[in-house]
Amino acid sequence: MGPLIPQGYVNSDLNLFFAFVIGLGFGYVLEQGGFSNSKKLAGVFYGYDFVVLRVFFTAALTAAIGLLLFSYMGLVEYDMLYVNPTFVKAAIVGGIIMGFGFILGGYCPGTSMVGAVIGKIDAMFFVVGLMGGVFFFGSFYETFKPLYEADNLGGILVYDSLGVDRDWFVFIFGLIALAAFIITRKIEDRINGVELLPKGLFHPSYRMPFFMMLFLAALNLYLPQSPRAKWNETDAKTLLGEAAAEVHYAMIDEVAYKLLHESENDLMLVDVRPAEDFQRFALPGAKNLPLKEVLGQKAGKLLDDSNKKVVIYSYSSTDADQAWMLLRREGHKDIRVLKGGLNGFFTEFFVENHQTQSRNEKEQFDTRFRERAMKAFKTGEAAEKIISKGKPVTTIVDIEPPKAGKGGC
Amino acid sequence: MNPYLAGFLLGLVLLSAFFITGRGLGASGAAKSVVIETIGSVAPEYAKENSFYASFFATGDGRPMRNWLVYLTLGVLGGAFFSGFLSGRAGFKIDKGVRITNATRLIFAVAGGFLFGVGSQFGRGCTSGAALSGMAVLSTAGFITVIAIFGTGYAIAYFFRKLWIN
Repeated sequence: MGPLIPQGYVNSDLNLFFAFVIGLGFGYVLEQGGFSNSKKLAGVFYGYDFVVLRVFFTAALTAAIGLLLFSYMGLVEYDMLYVNPTFVKAAIVGGIIMGFGFILGGYCPGTSMVGAVIGKIDAMFFVVGLMGGVFFFGSFYETFKPLYEADNLGGILVYDSLGVDRDWFVFIFGLIALAAFIITRKIEDRINGVELLPKGLFHPSYRMPFFMMLFLAALNLYLPQSPRAKWNETDAKTLLGEAAAEVHYAMIDEVAYKLLHESENDLMLVDVRPAEDFQRFALPGAKNLPLKEVLGQKAGKLLDDSNKKVVIYSYSSTDADQAWMLLRREGHKDIRVLKGGLNGFFTEFFVENHQTQSRNEKEQFDTRFRERAMKAFKTGEAAEKIISKGKPVTTIVDIEPPKAGKGGC
Repeated sequence: MNPYLAGFLLGLVLLSAFFITGRGLGASGAAKSVVIETIGSVAPEYAKENSFYASFFATGDGRPMRNWLVYLTLGVLGGAFFSGFLSGRAGFKIDKGVRITNATRLIFAVAGGFLFGVGSQFGRGCTSGAALSGMAVLSTAGFITVIAIFGTGYAIAYFFRKLWIN
């Protein structure tokens, strides 16, 4: 379901309000963590105070583990999170300049604001310098641009860059952080002349990261790989009711009518046949979601993102029925199945000789519609969309991933 | 506050930022917005010619201050003030090593800020936006940035020790 705003669960007008509330928490925790004091911050580089390292890495790990956990539970769509793009050269150059800035200034931008607001005069001067630096960069942007924009690798992920599994990367990252916490504690004690702590891993200073790592290890071992959300799961009884009542069928006439009247077309056609079959021919505007992939991430994106009513089809109704069952079970709503499938559709609109001596008015009306539709599909404007060299064709529309929120610092 | 607890809480703040808005935290973005807004109102002609500013005015809604990161930073200021005030840490003060004067400290603070301003533009974010948020989503950029910042810090710390230690 998350992230809430990019997925439209929360009105984006509330965006700025949330920004402010999250900022309150951010500022409060930074100040409580001791980040308003430049001397304390600089301590991380001289070994007398490693508070920055502790807070910083615990926070990064907590968030990284939290996001993995959320994605396991289906609470957050991992692919929709903003991943800052990697420009290797610019990241290294920027990092080096910022490293100098950290040693000289004793702050980083976030902490300088925290310091400035509670009256740290050095922090206020830092903020002034910060704006000067941004202005300087802006003024010489044309000069910096080649370096700034060199080698864009996009939103790549570190475990892919290193070629390791995501969960194990986080686990190892956690172990490294834990080792760093223990080693830096010893360095800090030596430099400050405090007795070395002899109590091993269960000293209070280590307890939290230690148990965090244990928790992560357990998570890693016992959770299956990325199951989809079972959040809104439809129960079996409801499903049986719907299936027995056959309320989930869309009639071919409706689909034909809407294909012929684009302005009234509120349907999204989803083709659950294999990709090869789809490429040969499909209904106009249909998107391909092979039955095998119906529970994958692509399905979630395709269906959740659409405001249109979904109609699934296959050759007959069988595969489409199966897909419908699976998708309904997962909690997707507004999904129907094209009754009779493609075969029914083509028989009715391309092959059948319609008999007009039907008994009642409704049947006569249907028949007349089918005759007209058949004519339209075969000869009219719609013909070009459906028929090409005797074979029905369509343009294949790639499914674009929904946009994640833009981020940055 | 126990630093691990603070880190854990900070992680939860970061997590909720991702959960609600799909992106992390940031601080230098607000500084950029202030600069853009200032240049846009003081020298609008220049802002149109310079592609750094012009690209913002072309793509944004032309209101740099009505920006997610600006409101986030307003929150940071509020939260930090609240915390500092409650814990009795609010008050005018300069933190520095004992071997330098206040004037020296302030000159280096401006210089450090300046470097961070330039560096955060190259790095597409600072310690919060590029490094911390980047690491949370396991982006390669986040890890490169954090290694570059802290690696440089340790490499040069010795030469600037007078600023901070005895």
